[in-house]
Amino acid sequence: MPHEDNVCKESVYQKIFNSLSPAIYNFIYFKCGNSAQAEDLVQEAFIKLWENCEKVTQAKAKSFLYTVCNNAFLNEVAHNKVVLKFIKKTGPAINEQSPQYVLEEKEFEQKLQKALSNLTEAQRTAFLMNRIEGKKYREIAEILDISVKAVEKRMSQALESLRKDIKNI
Amino acid sequence: MSEKLLHKFLNHEITEAELETLKATDVYREYIKIASHTAEMKTPGFDKEQVWAKLAEKKSAKEKKTLQLFNYRNLLKYAAVFVLLLAGYFYVTNLDTSISADLAEKRSFNLPDNSEVVLNAGSKVNYNKNSWNKERVLSLEGEAFFNVANGKKFAVETAQGIVSVLGTEFNVQSRNNHFHVSCYEGLVRVSFNGEDIQLPAGNSVIIEDGRIVARQEISGTKPGWMLNESSFENMTLENVVAEMERQYGVTISLENVDEKMRFSGAFTHKDLEAALKTVCVPLQLKYTIDKQRGIIIYGD
Repeated sequence: MPHEDNVCKESVYQKIFNSLSPAIYNFIYFKCGNSAQAEDLVQEAFIKLWENCEKVTQAKAKSFLYTVCNNAFLNEVAHNKVVLKFIKKTGPAINEQSPQYVLEEKEFEQKLQKALSNLTEAQRTAFLMNRIEGKKYREIAEILDISVKAVEKRMSQALESLRKDIKNI
Repeated sequence: MSEKLLHKFLNHEITEAELETLKATDVYREYIKIASHTAEMKTPGFDKEQVWAKLAEKKSAKEKKTLQLFNYRNLLKYAAVFVLLLAGYFYVTNLDTSISADLAEKRSFNLPDNSEVVLNAGSKVNYNKNSWNKERVLSLEGEAFFNVANGKKFAVETAQGIVSVLGTEFNVQSRNNHFHVSCYEGLVRVSFNGEDIQLPAGNSVIIEDGRIVARQEISGTKPGWMLNESSFENMTLENVVAEMERQYGVTISLENVDEKMRFSGAFTHKDLEAALKTVCVPLQLKYTIDKQRGIIIYGD
């Protein structure tokens, strides 16, 4: 039976797309590290949402999208070794720092990127959802359908692994 | 303790004082550096506008497809099935009921209103069960006796005329060019060739080729054939022989005989030889029964 507050209405659907698509994109990118693939999967997920719009309430749309993406990722994406590339946010100008410091920072970031690629997919997804997207543990737990304790564990493991990796590189 | 503070930091819930405590340990200082640097990063190029445009395109394509599928093809499919079912239903319900008596067989049955019909050998009745209560009409080929239940008009349609009654017992014989109606009870109307005649109980009329050839009184309460006897009044030999063929399920050929010669009398349905004799002797004809060639009636 179709729900009354479903997402079939064009305006509702577009609102959901605007608010959720970047996060969905990030979510997949954290997993696969391929932006083209991530974009495709975002598209597919939203097409699925449209096809099932009668069955999905606005409140359920978010978890629907994450679930669909995760399934698609598990089904379709070849589990290649991922190499993630991140862009630095254009932060405040850093002219005040010494050139050596700048160099060191750059080096550190390169190491960090490599180390992030070496994390397990589960650790990386949770860690980056928190770090890059600023999501709280509770929200991550909800999306990944795991406990907050499990999120904590993944975060700790990720940090530990990153620290060791950066030292070894 | 520090682990807890680390999570507080990551969850943006840490106080300045707590952060200082955490930074006191080397490992955690490194953790904070890693975490902070990671937070400075972002994923590469997600072009929301472009994805939305592509999505809108795909969406409308799918919509068109589904619309077409649903409105056009599926609807047609359902409509076709529905029409077929409907047609089948009407075909079955409007299908006429057909009851016939084979050669050498008599058959009696009741119509939906309990009117009684007795079919003579080689005869057929068609009627519609569904419309029977609205309109009591049946068509007859051959000969039948009717005992009609009281009610509205009851009509028997034959190739040569229509017999209609209100409630009565009557016999209709419609063979070749010979149309013979006998009324045993009540009143019967016979319509033929644009004419209308009333036939009261105890009377019969013979019509041949659209003209009345005889009107006569009848004896008995049932036609002779129902008592296993076929009786004729001034009937052509041709028709008499045809009746004998029907009653016995045999083939009779005439050789050197005028088939238009007339016969009055009756033959039994129980004994072929006796029947042949009753017909042949008064007409001064002879017959043979041959296993291969069947029955031959011949003249001198």
